[in-house]
Amino acid sequence: MLGYIIRRLFVAIIVIIGVAAITFAILHYLSPTPAYIVLGSKASKAAVAIWDRQHGYDRSEAAQFVSYLGNIVHGNFGFSYKNNQSVDSLFKEDGPISAYLSGAALLLSLIIAIPLGIVQAVKRNSIGDYAATAINFTLYSMPSFFLGLILIQIFALKLNLFPPGVSDSVTTIGAAITHPNQLFLPIITLTVLNVASYSRYMRSSALDELAQDYIRLARAKGLSERVVLSRHMFRNASLSMITLVGLSIPYLVAGNLLIEYLFNINGLGLLFYNAVQNEDYNVMLAYTLLGALLTVLGNLVADVSIAAADPRVRL
Amino acid sequence: MTDPRNIPPEQRIAELGPEAMTAPATLGGPRPAPEGGEVQSVQSGWRLTLREFASNRLAVFAVVLLVAIILFCFLGPLFYHSNQTVDNPLQQTLAPGATPLTGGASHLLGTDEYGLDEFGRLMVGGQSALEIGAFASLVAIVIGTLYGAVSGLIGGFVDGLMMRFVDVLLSIPYLLIVLVLATKYSGTIVSLSLVLGVFAWLVPARLVRGEVLTLRERDFVIAAQTMGSSRWRLIYRHLIPNAMSVTIVNVTFLIADSIIYLAVLGFLSFGLQFPNTSWGDMLGNALQYVLAGQWWLVYPVGGMLVAVVLCCNVIGDALRDAFDVRLRQR
Repeated sequence: MLGYIIRRLFVAIIVIIGVAAITFAILHYLSPTPAYIVLGSKASKAAVAIWDRQHGYDRSEAAQFVSYLGNIVHGNFGFSYKNNQSVDSLFKEDGPISAYLSGAALLLSLIIAIPLGIVQAVKRNSIGDYAATAINFTLYSMPSFFLGLILIQIFALKLNLFPPGVSDSVTTIGAAITHPNQLFLPIITLTVLNVASYSRYMRSSALDELAQDYIRLARAKGLSERVVLSRHMFRNASLSMITLVGLSIPYLVAGNLLIEYLFNINGLGLLFYNAVQNEDYNVMLAYTLLGALLTVLGNLVADVSIAAADPRVRL
Repeated sequence: MTDPRNIPPEQRIAELGPEAMTAPATLGGPRPAPEGGEVQSVQSGWRLTLREFASNRLAVFAVVLLVAIILFCFLGPLFYHSNQTVDNPLQQTLAPGATPLTGGASHLLGTDEYGLDEFGRLMVGGQSALEIGAFASLVAIVIGTLYGAVSGLIGGFVDGLMMRFVDVLLSIPYLLIVLVLATKYSGTIVSLSLVLGVFAWLVPARLVRGEVLTLRERDFVIAAQTMGSSRWRLIYRHLIPNAMSVTIVNVTFLIADSIIYLAVLGFLSFGLQFPNTSWGDMLGNALQYVLAGQWWLVYPVGGMLVAVVLCCNVIGDALRDAFDVRLRQR
């Protein structure tokens, strides 16, 4: 097990370096130097050349990439010229609220999706099952911001229960917890979208388990249906959710970006969006790497926890 | 006993009785198989799939709805004439049915912030959205199918290397890389399609490779190899046609995803240049419209978009079931 984890971590490092190289190449191809951001778009060629030389942007791309990797190892993700701040301090400022948003939505969606999927599987082909499937399918076909707009229309404008956008003062987890109504709509939007895709898988996974012999055995022993479902089926059916959550991390990152943009939350997604607008490419690079790191780690953690939870899986 | 394939069909029907006429041709019916029965079996496979698909009422409804939306977008402007090119400041954001201050006819779905008729805008925006969705998926599926087929056929070290490259690219969240590309390459239908398609081929490549890995051990591929088929001929004549079911199912999902991401890009204000527009661009200021109560600028276009994506997803699911021999009921 330990050997497997070490091997996977080794592969993960190579993948991350690969992602860094590809992103670095694309960004450098799109805009070779941040000089124009610092000096203004009307800067003279000579001034740009001097600035490039001072900051190392006149070296070959490979040399720049190697020194970038070296800096990352030392925890230095470069400088955001647009925000006039180092990238790591920006991430430390904006990261917690994004993590809170994703974490809360993920937790809530699992709490809803797992029982929903099981109930749908148990009462399969009933009117309720069809209705839930239809709603899930529709939500699944919806861009996340569009669902957010509908929820704003209903809960903020019509019912006046929650604010349509998040106040600028909510920047820390502490503020988010003491003002729960501020982040209510963004979290619900993300949760509903996650539930739409998770419960579909949970339903089919539960259907597979219900057809297994051990369920029939448990029923034949005379156990109540509640015990069969909660003690026998639930744990086995939930295994597939581990993999699914691990695989859905890129979508969580993307969802975060859109929801932060829609509700004006000062998190990493909005930071990335502004960086894209301003060609602030140290921020773009760092955020892409973070997304890739989470994706790779998500897969790794999913595989390891499957092995820990399911004795049939040997690594 | 003569070979039944050599007996003319009329005679065979006469021998087998009238019930042979009603038996579906797909079940190896009375029609004599041509030389090289392989072609026949491929045809009947397709027909079986089609029949299976047609028995799914929801999927058929989705096809009808999708065709209706396509006709609405592309033929609609022939019947519903409206100004879609010159902005008209005097008619900005008129509610549906409201008469313009300057007089003149009211608009069925009101007007947008440029004063253009929103109902006509739905058609024009739909044309670009559907074109971009189709073209982006075409780019993705062509790259993905070729890449997967080549990787699976070569096998060994090269295959491992090619697939690790896919793994690396798949670790980059799609939206991030698309956004970065969109900053420089958006504005036209072709460039937006390329932006959306150029990183969408990864999943199809994986699926096609998996299919090719099983296909290349099959007898007909080994036979073709023994007869001296070149690697390229093997790929386009044998492997790709047989991996077609995977490809077709994937195209429908790719179209759905491309249209969703087009909407996302439009919402984040990366899109076509005015007066061109797509359903994505029309949602660019959607939050302001909602806050200002201008529902007609948000929900009709959003509804159309969701309907198209939903249709594609339903059709894709139904096709996957129809192609899956194990799920076939008959």
